[in-house]
Amino acid sequence: MPLIRRDDAAPAPGQERREIPRDREGLIAQLDDKRPVARRRASRELAGDAGAVDALCDALEREQDEGCRHAMLTALLVTGGQRVQERLLPLLRSEDAALRNGAIEVLQGMPKLAAGYMDELLADPDSDVRIFAVNILESLRHERVPDWLRGVLERDDHVNVCAAAVDVLTEVGDDHCLDALRQLPARFPGEPFIAFAVRTAERRITGEERGDGR
Amino acid sequence: MAADAPREATEVPGIGYEDFTRFREFYYRKTGNWFEENKRYYVDKRLLARMRATGCGTFREYFVRLRFETDGAELQELVNSMTVNETYFFREEYQFQCLVRSMLPRVVKRKKPGETVRIWSLPCSTGEEVYSLALYLLEYWDDVDDYNVELIGSDIDTRALEKANQGIYEGRALHALPGPLLKRYFRRLPDGSHQILKSIRDSIRISRVNLQDPLETRPYRGFDVVFCRNLLIYFDDAARRRAAETLYDALNPGGYICLGHSEFMSRISSLFKPARFPEAIVYQRPEEDQT
Amino acid sequence: MTRVLVVDDAQTVRLYHRELLEQDGFDVDEAVNGLEALERLADTPYDLLLVDVNMPRMDGYTCVRRVRTDGPDIGVPVIMVTTEGAAGDREQALSAGANLHMAKPVQPEVLLSRVRLMSGVLS
Repeated sequence: MPLIRRDDAAPAPGQERREIPRDREGLIAQLDDKRPVARRRASRELAGDAGAVDALCDALEREQDEGCRHAMLTALLVTGGQRVQERLLPLLRSEDAALRNGAIEVLQGMPKLAAGYMDELLADPDSDVRIFAVNILESLRHERVPDWLRGVLERDDHVNVCAAAVDVLTEVGDDHCLDALRQLPARFPGEPFIAFAVRTAERRITGEERGDGR
Repeated sequence: MAADAPREATEVPGIGYEDFTRFREFYYRKTGNWFEENKRYYVDKRLLARMRATGCGTFREYFVRLRFETDGAELQELVNSMTVNETYFFREEYQFQCLVRSMLPRVVKRKKPGETVRIWSLPCSTGEEVYSLALYLLEYWDDVDDYNVELIGSDIDTRALEKANQGIYEGRALHALPGPLLKRYFRRLPDGSHQILKSIRDSIRISRVNLQDPLETRPYRGFDVVFCRNLLIYFDDAARRRAAETLYDALNPGGYICLGHSEFMSRISSLFKPARFPEAIVYQRPEEDQT
Repeated sequence: MTRVLVVDDAQTVRLYHRELLEQDGFDVDEAVNGLEALERLADTPYDLLLVDVNMPRMDGYTCVRRVRTDGPDIGVPVIMVTTEGAAGDREQALSAGANLHMAKPVQPEVLLSRVRLMSGVLS
């Protein structure tokens, strides 16, 4: 019979628990283990521990292994809270696109804290940071999302920030955004993409299909 | 009603094409499931049912609720209603074909003589999938006699696992199973149902595990192939990321993971790379990774 | 038919590029992030990839690096599109393996001429 069954292959969790120290300090030390699997495991078990946020963020900033980064970001997402947000916001300025996008994904998952930093982020002098702020809004479950985006359309003078906002509005926009949308192409007359994106968003928001049937 | 059905068949009143487009982009981003145009009627119907259940008079009102509700409860309800949660023998058989024709030949190349091939079915529910794997290997894998295969089926639901252990099925669960296999591997019970042979039941391990618990899942490792179909769509973002990490650690480097036919890893996690085979796209833990 | 894969998380950008390129006779597919691009590439050969940088799950640089090391077509021409025209972006794009870098917003005629050039339509 080629099918075999080994009931002893997987020890009960309790047996393993004794082998490796499960205290916070032990797990934090394990974030520096040279084996990625140990770093991933430590990250996973530190998920939910608010006292481990700084250690996880320090490790994340050093970490080069993609799987370990993934686990550290997940742990931060599970833990959540003010400190996670404070440590992740500076990563939006990182040169490392993967780290930046990882931070954005975690911030998207912490909607309740967004009101505390979003206005400031949307007023950042760096247009790339403002784009990342709009990216956070893309998947944020927060009732003010349409208002923040409308504010971008009304005030931001950078074409790429406005373009990002229009894109999100194709999904989340409501009737209150229509005026700001319709006025946008006039602010960027040399940009055919803006006119196109605004037409698309308007169509999605009003539900009116366009004349050529597409 | 039936007379004007053809015209009505593609458009449910109250949900326009732009609404459908807006919804499916959102749903894809949240769940990794993509609805083709030909699913529109099905999708619209379920949306309308959820709109009624939540007292939303218009699609837009409902979409705002779905999109911004902080706890995501309505999204969960909708996912449940969109998902056909049925399991039967040889469901999505092309993935089993892919297993024996494409994945296993590659897996055994890395094995030394006497090493075991390990396959995990998760969630195994009432056992149809894990027993299908057993039958498929015995019937259709040419090299089945040259290797030992360890099959494990796991689920969080202990009532389902009890049924899996009993291995008794009827009607719908067996409809896709070829007749000769039903004869060969099942025993007909007096009430007309069929029980899978004890020798098969005894050669498969059924276990309870919560994929979200890092300590419970730690012992599950060293798998060459994991079948994890139509489970990740039920999780929120954080849980889905965690599940992907757990599955990654459960697999050997180079091991494969099969998702449901409309689930795409590209909306879930970057840990795996797609592997295209003639029968299916599956995902692979990169070979070069250190453990 | 020359096939282009447009990789961008912004649906308005994907639609815009699709319309422009289809009007010019290209066959266009879309992917919403780097991972989906890799899924499509595993399935279909493309003559050109047009890749954004900042995308969830997998960014454009990582995607292009994987294409260049892992295939299936490691030599496929790649144009990367970034939000800023800063030198750092161009360098990162080229060192990831892109053949060409363009800054957003892209003017239609510029996009078309670059795509024609890189996809071999002019050669």
